[in-house]
Amino acid sequence: MKALVSSRFILSFAAACIAGYALYASLHWSFKTALFPRVIGIPLLMLALIEMALSIWGVEREREGHAVDFELTTTVEPALARKRTLVIFAWILGFLVLILAVGFPLAVPIFVFAYLRIAGREPLTLSIVLTLVSWIFIEGVFDRFLHIPFPDGWILGLWR
Amino acid sequence: MQKFRISFFFLLVLVASVPSHAASVFEGKTITVIVGYKPGGGYDRYARLIAKHLPKYIPGKPGVIVQNMPGASSVIAANHLFSVAKPDGLTFGTFNNATVVAQLIKVEGVRFDLAKFSWLGSAASDAVILTVRSDVPYRSAGDLRKAKQFVIGTTGPGSSTHDFPALLKEFAGFDFKLVPGYSSSADVMLAVERKEVDGRAGSFDSIKPFIDRGLVRPILRNRTTAPGIEKLPVDEDLATSQNGKIVMAVNAVPTQIYRPFVAPPATPKDVMKILRDAFANALKDKELLAEAEKGKMTIDYTSPEDALKVVAEVLSQSPDIVQELTKHIKFGD
Amino acid sequence: MLDTFIQGLFAVFQWQTFLVMLLGIFLGFWVGLLPGLGGTTTLALMLPFIYKMSPVEAFAFLLGMHSVVSTTGDITSVLFGIPGEGTTAATILDGHAMAKKGEAGRALGAALMSSLIGALIGAFALALSIPIVRPLVLTFGAPELFMLAVVGVAFISSLSGEGGRALLRGILAGLLGLLFALVGQDPQAGVQRFTFGQLYLWNGLDLVPVLVGLFAIPEIVDLAVRGTSIAGELPQENLSKGVWTGVKDTFVHLGLTVRCSLVGTFIGIMPGLGGGVAQWIAYGHAVQSARDSEERTGFGRGDVRGVLGPGAANNSKEGGSLIPTIAFGVPGSSSMAILLGAFFLQGISPGPDMLDKHLVLTFSMVWTMVVANIITVAVSLFFLNYLAKLTLIRGPVLIPFVLFFSFIGAYTSNNHLGDLAVLLAFGFFGYLMIRCGWPRAPLVLGFVLGRIAENNFYISTIRYGSAWVGRPLVLMLISLTVIVLFFPLIRSKWQESTKGETQ
Repeated sequence: MKALVSSRFILSFAAACIAGYALYASLHWSFKTALFPRVIGIPLLMLALIEMALSIWGVEREREGHAVDFELTTTVEPALARKRTLVIFAWILGFLVLILAVGFPLAVPIFVFAYLRIAGREPLTLSIVLTLVSWIFIEGVFDRFLHIPFPDGWILGLWR
Repeated sequence: MQKFRISFFFLLVLVASVPSHAASVFEGKTITVIVGYKPGGGYDRYARLIAKHLPKYIPGKPGVIVQNMPGASSVIAANHLFSVAKPDGLTFGTFNNATVVAQLIKVEGVRFDLAKFSWLGSAASDAVILTVRSDVPYRSAGDLRKAKQFVIGTTGPGSSTHDFPALLKEFAGFDFKLVPGYSSSADVMLAVERKEVDGRAGSFDSIKPFIDRGLVRPILRNRTTAPGIEKLPVDEDLATSQNGKIVMAVNAVPTQIYRPFVAPPATPKDVMKILRDAFANALKDKELLAEAEKGKMTIDYTSPEDALKVVAEVLSQSPDIVQELTKHIKFGD
Repeated sequence: MLDTFIQGLFAVFQWQTFLVMLLGIFLGFWVGLLPGLGGTTTLALMLPFIYKMSPVEAFAFLLGMHSVVSTTGDITSVLFGIPGEGTTAATILDGHAMAKKGEAGRALGAALMSSLIGALIGAFALALSIPIVRPLVLTFGAPELFMLAVVGVAFISSLSGEGGRALLRGILAGLLGLLFALVGQDPQAGVQRFTFGQLYLWNGLDLVPVLVGLFAIPEIVDLAVRGTSIAGELPQENLSKGVWTGVKDTFVHLGLTVRCSLVGTFIGIMPGLGGGVAQWIAYGHAVQSARDSEERTGFGRGDVRGVLGPGAANNSKEGGSLIPTIAFGVPGSSSMAILLGAFFLQGISPGPDMLDKHLVLTFSMVWTMVVANIITVAVSLFFLNYLAKLTLIRGPVLIPFVLFFSFIGAYTSNNHLGDLAVLLAFGFFGYLMIRCGWPRAPLVLGFVLGRIAENNFYISTIRYGSAWVGRPLVLMLISLTVIVLFFPLIRSKWQESTKGETQ
């Protein structure tokens, strides 16, 4: 059971689903449009199923299956690592929600200040200074100078 | 008598304040020009050129900035201008001229009505031409019709490189072998030079340097003309059926308003008048014309009324024609 | 020819030209450094300023700016793991890993020096190839471009890691990348594929949000979990000594650096391959240069060669992509397309004239790239030490800024909230991949090559039927694909046999 909810299984399952959806969508298309999705999707599906099976029944040797890539830190104990991971993902999502709510230019200083004070427990003066720096960047460089369009955000949209 | 004088006085003040009210709309404010493409492309360059010279002609000399809202061949920008941008005269924009066809064939995601926009006009028209490599033995449209499986490179359905020859193939009896998939029209030109393909269609402005260089020779054009290619045969004249003629016309007509500029619907009339006049005057401005000349950008003003006529002409097509069009034209880049 | 070459050099050192070049360098330095300020976008924004300049000045300004962007973009990649530009993402894999080991100085030194060498080689390739460039570019048609894409995809075998399971996952990642590349309007029938009715997806997934998501987000998560600074708790090497070690590394591995520069230049010359490809193929080649499987597993964890390869390639490709732009008027990348606009603004028609009538201008462009990079690297070396110290800042202070720059970096791709959605989706996906030991490089490779492969396949087939397979270059590239694909296998078999011999 543990193997079934292991992240290895979930990822390969996700890959299989993506392949499955691609193959399903290609049924509606003409030959030319569908060719590459199918040529890619069929092996993807098969290999994903193999990986799914291996993640449940296979044994992973120490050096095997280690990618040319970095690996997540193992110096922190798993329970704490899991908690911190969830927390940071929550902050990341929160940043997005904040942008949707009040628009990019306001979200940035609010987020920076909130993270520094709440997650970082940084001293007040430092937090204020850094928040100002971030605000100068988003407002000064990206808004006023580059004129990047930033939509208003739900809350401000209602108000205006 | 006294009452009459007082009310006349007030009426005078009222009348006098109307234009200055409109003028004060722009005082100290910034106008935003929205472009449906990323920086550097044709639409962006026209917008920036106009943005630079427009303030001279608007009372209150507002600042004018350009914002890029690319995506979905500028449908995203068009949607934004239609329903999100405020109709206060401080925003207007430009997007793909073919959006009128997109609206006609009811492309999914189109949420605007070009007839309802407050039009400023169009800054340029653009002829679409078909060219062949100079060493190819065909010199005229008649010759080309006799060719078998003549290879034409395109960037894919939805662009003029593809649709123009596709319609010629379907409705005028040309035996073209269309090869889509090139990443840009410049890549098609390279393929012509490489002899991988033998012909290329597209905007006259972008092909002109290659004609001047002697790489390609123009054979046909659509109904929009430009200096140098007036004598070329027009595709519609070669159509073998009435339907074909109309389909080609519908595809061609938007190129007369190749660089459309519109403001959101229901922008107040007095504000629009200022913008329209400023737009028309800016396009006559000597400095603007000099810069445009240097940058090889044609300037060819179309009034808002004429632009709306074009839009109406396209949108008023019968369902049969729309169906025929949908079979052969896709909307894209 | 030689005296025009020298003339070009003198043209660059006229004081007015030199000054605008310095201005361009200054701008380019910040544009490369800061995510959210795209090199291509800034080029476009600078176009109106060149109206009043002479051609040599205008291009000294624009190229001075542009050729520096890939150099300083590597700095952000190494220090923070955020791709400052779409072209500097590969440097993150080993460069940022080195920063996490406290070797930021060394990584920066290596990145900068290899960038310089890459830029020099790219610039000189441009100069030297002038007589042969036209026949070279004209010989590579759609079939050859398709095969080049296939060769690129074959590098997945080198980028996957050790063992059969790693290869399986590498192929899975590569296939996924290829599939993601197909999102958008298909060029054959104009049908919308995998767009779920979203206007944002009509033109496909943009490279930058995908890269920033895949690379920056997992690094941020890891940083938050560790709770330390980027450099961690490890003893700090003397950071200034580190920079010179990195510079020396470039020369220790000069063969690799030069080879990757040549690869980058070649890929830059091929129009249609785009800017993102060169660095990954260079990275794949760098991995291949590892002498045994032990060394190979060091990649992705802080092997300096993983910095040298992409560092060199992403600069050399700039010189390479100027070649089709100048010689044919066909831009080799999106920034070249903007530069093309600059040509027209100056009243110059790129094409055979550039190699003939305007040869001095062409050579001045070569020299601009050389001089601009030398100046940038020289100046940067001075304060690389201070930059490296940024990796000592506490994690919690750095994280909100890294997140801010990741978000704005992604957002400015299309100025659309969809960019942020893509960022987060790929961020989460990248995190999962790392957790499960799936390599990310093959996914990126598949993603940048997918469309090129499909489009050129169809062009080849429609145009030539099946005859294109027999073309001589195509056959050579097919053999190259096989070699690249089976390279790890060939190498280990060869090593076994030599080990057997010594026993």
